[in-house]
Amino acid sequence: MSNVQQETTEIIAKQAKIDIDTIKPESTLKDLGVASLDAIEVIFDIEEHFGINLPNEDTDFDNGTVGQLVEAIERQLAAKKND
Amino acid sequence: MQRLVITGMGAICALGNDAPSVWQAMAEGRSGIAPVSRVDPERVRAAGVVAEVKGFDPGQHFDEAKLSQLDLATQYALVAAKEAIVQSGLSFEGERAARTAVVVGSGAAGEVTRDTQYHRIYADKLPRVHPLGIIRMMMNAPASQISMAHGITGPAFVVASACASSNHAFAQAAMMIRSGLVDAAVVGGTEACLNLGTLLAWEAMRVLAPDTCRPFSKGRRGIVLGEGSAMFVLETLEQAQARGATILAELVGTGMSSDAGDIAAPSELGAAAAIENALRDGNLSPSEVDYVSAHGTGTMANDATETAALHRVFGEHARALAISSTKPMHGHALGASGSLELIAVIGALRHGIVPPTLAYLEPDPACDLDYVPHQARKMPVHAAISNSFAFGGLNAVVALRRMP
Repeated sequence: MSNVQQETTEIIAKQAKIDIDTIKPESTLKDLGVASLDAIEVIFDIEEHFGINLPNEDTDFDNGTVGQLVEAIERQLAAKKND
Repeated sequence: MQRLVITGMGAICALGNDAPSVWQAMAEGRSGIAPVSRVDPERVRAAGVVAEVKGFDPGQHFDEAKLSQLDLATQYALVAAKEAIVQSGLSFEGERAARTAVVVGSGAAGEVTRDTQYHRIYADKLPRVHPLGIIRMMMNAPASQISMAHGITGPAFVVASACASSNHAFAQAAMMIRSGLVDAAVVGGTEACLNLGTLLAWEAMRVLAPDTCRPFSKGRRGIVLGEGSAMFVLETLEQAQARGATILAELVGTGMSSDAGDIAAPSELGAAAAIENALRDGNLSPSEVDYVSAHGTGTMANDATETAALHRVFGEHARALAISSTKPMHGHALGASGSLELIAVIGALRHGIVPPTLAYLEPDPACDLDYVPHQARKMPVHAAISNSFAFGGLNAVVALRRMP
């Protein structure tokens, strides 16, 4: 598991108050019970933690998976490094 | 029970700086949405487009000494109230001063003042803020300033229920007049929220559309913030007729409800309850309603929920309703939105023109009614409702009838 994936999973687990082992790359935030305002807070925590901006397109709370979220974070981190 | 009529209206928003200009833009289907000019666009992400008031020179309306007391939200309310009062022909001499109320809906008022004064403290590290900061930012300022400007000495206050504030204000004014407490009210809403702090706060909620506001359309991506004010003179039919006033429309009913559910997500049952209450209060059967000025924010959740609520209340007649959201024109002016949308309703009743829902792309299965896309529609409108559903689960709906 990459550091980004590990840290993202930890942020979600903390916000959702769930065991970190229940979070799989294919889980959606909705599956994990992270809905509505909780999901917005998770994205906020991720943005603050990594110092990035996640566009709304990369934050599909209903269908987007944790794996896709991690990919989006990695894309933003790479873009930041290239700046 | 006293019948209530509207005898004056005033407005300022991205569509124009008086009510006739605003209505003309609505009837022509013009949009006031454009790239943000008042804040550095580099500082905002999705909030790149807004519906700003244009060409407004406060110096034309207020002298310098007065202006230092007025937040932008209060300036808009004063401009709109004056236009409405002038049109109504009402003056507040003698007993009438105390028999008139002022009720203004606003989600936050004072935002521009808070933003600029806090910038002085936290960013500029200055030791003091403007001494009239409190006078400007207090939420009751719009109602107080209107009462002062026109010598209205009856009950005056501001109603705050986020995006339903204006409709709650109409309900309050209607109840005060019906109860016999007053004979008239200067009533509406105001908001001036296009400052950096407020824009970023909305952006953080991830509800701002990056392109434009597309109510009820597939591919809708959220709201576009707007600003402005619309104010009205509401009075008893008896007083209006005695004065020989021109009657613009009859306000027949208001309905309110609270979801008591989620702080942000809308509720079909809550919305439906407010609509039903407004129809009942107005002695309107669902089949009498021709036009619905929708809350229609352009978020996934609101538009699907509002559609479901309309199905629930109107049954088969839902498909016969002309439904439109004017938010792609004047933006979502939060606490002022219900007041601006009443301009659309009164225009539809008086002129037989239903303003369109702009920026519509294609049908969404969750929004399967007639949203009058793209083009205004000529049709007789005998009765209409205007919906407002706020964050916090607070709903308020007003029902109006055409005056012969």
